[in-house]
Amino acid sequence: MDFWTAFPYWGILLLVGINAFIVIRRGIEVEDRH
Amino acid sequence: MDYLQENFFTIFLTLFYVGGCLYVGWYFKKQAASGVADYYVAKRKIPGWVISLAFFSTSASTNTYIGQAGKSFQYGLSWAWMGLIWTVFCIISWQLLGPRMRTHTARLQSFTIPDYFHLRYQSDMAKFIRVLSAFIILFATVWYMVGIAKGCAVVLETVLDVPYLWGAAAILFITCAYTIWGGMYSVLWTDALQGIIMFGVAILMLALPFIFVGGVEPMMEAISNTTHVTKAGEPMGNGLVTFGSLVSFLYILGIGLSIGMKQISEPKNLIRFYSVDNAKSMRFAMIWTPIFLGVSLVCVMGLGALVHGMATAEEAAVLIQDTDKVVGFMLEKFDNKFVSGICVAGLFAAGMSSLASVIIIIGTALVKDIWHVISPMREEQLIPRTKWAMFGYCIFTFGLVWVLSIYPIGGIVELTAFAGAVFAASFFPGIFGGLYLRWGTDAGALASMIVGMVANVVWRLFFRFEFAGLKDVHEIIPAFLLSLITYIVVSRMTKHRIPDEAHLDLVFGKD
Repeated sequence: MDFWTAFPYWGILLLVGINAFIVIRRGIEVEDRH
Repeated sequence: MDYLQENFFTIFLTLFYVGGCLYVGWYFKKQAASGVADYYVAKRKIPGWVISLAFFSTSASTNTYIGQAGKSFQYGLSWAWMGLIWTVFCIISWQLLGPRMRTHTARLQSFTIPDYFHLRYQSDMAKFIRVLSAFIILFATVWYMVGIAKGCAVVLETVLDVPYLWGAAAILFITCAYTIWGGMYSVLWTDALQGIIMFGVAILMLALPFIFVGGVEPMMEAISNTTHVTKAGEPMGNGLVTFGSLVSFLYILGIGLSIGMKQISEPKNLIRFYSVDNAKSMRFAMIWTPIFLGVSLVCVMGLGALVHGMATAEEAAVLIQDTDKVVGFMLEKFDNKFVSGICVAGLFAAGMSSLASVIIIIGTALVKDIWHVISPMREEQLIPRTKWAMFGYCIFTFGLVWVLSIYPIGGIVELTAFAGAVFAASFFPGIFGGLYLRWGTDAGALASMIVGMVANVVWRLFFRFEFAGLKDVHEIIPAFLLSLITYIVVSRMTKHRIPDEAHLDLVFGKD
């Protein structure tokens, strides 16, 4: 299997990991509330 | 009697699953009927893990688990780029739209996507946008409903020998029943349960081909150089594991964008943000939704290519002509009643979770954003009329499935992808601009909506298939870019239509 065929498989896992890291580091604000 | 014995486990599991869904709907019946905020957005009181699973199960449907999974039988392992594009847009949706949409819609007391346009842009033109967007929802989602009902009916027919139309009716009206009873509460809670089943089944389905051939190495050996033929009859050779060999990357990009961008524009996905209960839940959903979706897509997007390892050359030559049959073939070849029963439950879960989400969106669009705008009604009339609208639309959809079984037309999957392109191009600029740009105007939103729709149709009919180099450029690419530019340019040209400062302060608060 060549690099670009394999890329999306580990790319997805890496991407969701990076996303989780960013969210954990960042504060999220949501208000409790015709 | 033989039939019952042979299919006992599948029937038991299916009935148990359907009973569970109906029980959830009945459980929330009273709570959902207590007000519009309850019925339409579950009073914005749903925990993050439920919203997260519900977003995932709504996004993926039988089209994913049967249609997309089977496609890699024809296109090879690089079809998983679809899953990567899809996951990227899931992350963009939760990062860019989620928190802000939850906050702004609560401040505006918005309960539907069309009424968000009206309440954010505040004018008679915005009222027109609300009605127009509701009509777009009605027309764009009917093919999606038909596609899912057909997919589930085929599963019932092949696995349990249930007649096709009976299967379609059962799926439509069981889903309709629990959606009508419990409104958004039952949609979200059943979606979450279905999401758990779908996540497990995705992992199970990936394991089957490897178990069948005896491990990873024999599998990779079998598919790395195969004598199986392409649709055109050419030997595949190492095509299944070689990038760009069986399908152009541009083609994958176009289809990937048209399906992936639904995450940032389709009402059935965006309405999930309305119901999140607090910041902690929002954070949970922002982390876990891409994980649920991404891992599931890693499992199913390359599945078809792996089935080559289970098929003989003769079987593969038949399957390549209709890749929708690949997953069914895999279950048949694996030949384990227990596994088949679980996978069938997963396929139902995939279909019904998307169906329920669409049914409630259609009911609310029809009653609150068309009927109520044209001829205002008392609040206590909204919920009963929404229920009748949902029931009526399910009957209409079943009628369409019935007619199509007599006079079949091709390309329902293409039609649903086209509907996704229409949503992305016509809804996203108005929503994104509404959430981020104080200077966005109703004229900008309306112009971008119309340009998005027209550009989609014009590109598809007059450009894409007329010029050789444009065949793989999906209409979503030009339509989305034109629509976004239109929103910015027209909003800048119509500064006098920006809502007053007091209204903008209410919407944007301190952010």
